[in-house]
Amino acid sequence: MSLLWLRVAVLLYGIAALAVLPAALYNRPRWRHVAMPAALAGAFFHFVSITETLYAAHRALPVDTHETLSMLALLLAAAFLLLAAKYRTVAFGIFLLPVVVLLTIVPAFRPGHETLAYPAIRTGWLLLHVALLLAAYAALFLSLIASLLYLIQERRLKQKRANPRRTWLPPLETTDQIALKALLFGLPCMTAGLLIGSVVALQTIGPTFFADPKVLLSLAMWVAYMLMIFIRQHSGLRGRRAVYLSSFVFLVVLAVWSANALSVVHRFKAP
Amino acid sequence: MSEIKQNGTLLLLGVNHTTAPIDVRERLAIPISRLADATRTLAHQPGVREALILSTCNRVELLTVQDAPAIATSPPLGMMSFLHDYLNLPAADIQPHVYEFREREAIRHLFRVASSLDSMVVGEPQILGQVKQSWNVAREVGAVSSMLDPLLQRAFSVAKRVRTETQIGSSSVSIASVAAELARKIFGSLAGKTVLIVGAGKMSDLAARHLIQQGATTLLVSNRTEASAEKIADSLRTPAITTGVIPFEQLHEQSHRADIVITSTGAGQIFMPEHARALLHRRRNRPVFFIDIAVPRDVAPEINKLEGCFVYDMDDLQQVAARNQAVRSREAEAAEVIVSKEVARYSDRLSQAPAIEAFKQLQLSAEAVRQQELARTAQRLAAQPLTPEQQAAIEALTRSLTAKLLHSQLEALRVASPGSGEETSDSNGK
Repeated sequence: MSLLWLRVAVLLYGIAALAVLPAALYNRPRWRHVAMPAALAGAFFHFVSITETLYAAHRALPVDTHETLSMLALLLAAAFLLLAAKYRTVAFGIFLLPVVVLLTIVPAFRPGHETLAYPAIRTGWLLLHVALLLAAYAALFLSLIASLLYLIQERRLKQKRANPRRTWLPPLETTDQIALKALLFGLPCMTAGLLIGSVVALQTIGPTFFADPKVLLSLAMWVAYMLMIFIRQHSGLRGRRAVYLSSFVFLVVLAVWSANALSVVHRFKAP
Repeated sequence: MSEIKQNGTLLLLGVNHTTAPIDVRERLAIPISRLADATRTLAHQPGVREALILSTCNRVELLTVQDAPAIATSPPLGMMSFLHDYLNLPAADIQPHVYEFREREAIRHLFRVASSLDSMVVGEPQILGQVKQSWNVAREVGAVSSMLDPLLQRAFSVAKRVRTETQIGSSSVSIASVAAELARKIFGSLAGKTVLIVGAGKMSDLAARHLIQQGATTLLVSNRTEASAEKIADSLRTPAITTGVIPFEQLHEQSHRADIVITSTGAGQIFMPEHARALLHRRRNRPVFFIDIAVPRDVAPEINKLEGCFVYDMDDLQQVAARNQAVRSREAEAAEVIVSKEVARYSDRLSQAPAIEAFKQLQLSAEAVRQQELARTAQRLAAQPLTPEQQAAIEALTRSLTAKLLHSQLEALRVASPGSGEETSDSNGK
């Protein structure tokens, strides 16, 4: 049943992703009235699906890559809905919703069959570790998109070709605030997520865990994240250079994510 | 349109920016303080049943519902005498500039005015508020009722539809409002933003006022003559606006305080790239918007290449305004289609109103006869009252009989009603 809800969610996200294009690019309010309810309903069915899956499996955290991706997608969809409600802009949906569809479509049609490498550590702390890190990734992705939108709007204004009919981009200051706020939200999430993960790993596996490539890369990711915030805050970095910086940290995050394949201890295990 | 004729003839008389020069419009203009009195006076003119006056800087229009004899002449003497007597203007001075619309064309004109299609700046939003104000005044003095009241309400919903379904008012077309719109694209809300005016000029003053209207709260002025700067600052100071003067020789040291810089000295390039770099450094790269309305330009165009600096000169602003104007013109075409449809719909509704009224009357009188006959029968059978089942059967029988007898007459009325396909237009508008 949970798969059915997830497929319904994918369909609704797909509708929202398509409807958001005319709503944002051509400023058509009717399409906005399609995109927003579709995204909201998609997020609802997505949430139902995840809850049902976890409930049926008698656990509180995602154990395979597909489930984790699906949770990340739900966080991104929630971020889109939050931004639309707070800043009255659907522009973020142009980038966020297709990613949400992509992240959801695989688990919806090819559910994973991995289990935890260490079933004994199914604790609430581990759930928090996963949830906080996913929130940090979502925040970083959001910040990257905000920086990109900033760059596009900046170029349009500099080239003096802002089409009055295409006012889909939020003002520069708004996108800048979103980018910074997302990073500032992501930092404590990432810090706490990594700390919790480290403590749990120390108790379960012992100090050898810290020699794992995944763990080392995670540490590098945290340093890069901190540096990025420091630079942005202290030099007022915006525009092109902010996009480069965000992209770099995002690449580090992708590397950390992919490091699951290299990790001996931090990986999901096939049954 | 027979409904209009039954209740009187709808007539609109007026002058606007296309038919009358400003000196004529000035003499005809009725200030808001006198609008109630003028509307009451117009409503009391012989033959006038309902009246409304719309008086703005670009138009004065009298919308009335009149008896047929009162409008035999064109323009009607009663209305011309109102203009003459109330405003002390010789009829000969006004008559060449006056336009007149009747019935359907008057409805069309009103819808176009409310939708801002007849405005000097097509799509400007103020006109709808002005029409609403006139309507409120006319209601307060009891000058509008069964004809004008629903017509005005329809005009408001048409205007709303035009605003919602087209983008007629979505972009600015004046230099000052374009500058304010661009500032909003950079800063979003202008609340709490600081505007710096460099040089004294009408245009910079106007642009600053626009930015203040949009929420800017601090205004700094810098001019070679400090007295002029202080004069400008004083003229723009309000309890909500903080103003200040920057000595011209300290301009580069202090300009980082401003988010928006409006320059209009025309003294050559006051702001060079090195100044802008220093300014950005002091602002920690927060964006700054230069509005250069001076000729020759005050701001070096290369500054626009610096990240965080946005420079728009007079040509740039004019180009944006022209593009916006073109968009509005395109949207105006779509709006005209909406207005035409709404005029047709409203006219149809009006022309069908007598038939609907006749339907209702016929049905009411048939029902009255049926009730009378039922009561009479019940009286006759008082000795042997009918059972509830028998009463229900008689009720159903009489209803069915009445409906069948009325059917052919109602059908004949429907076919004969003007809205059923006959040409209903009886407009005489010029």
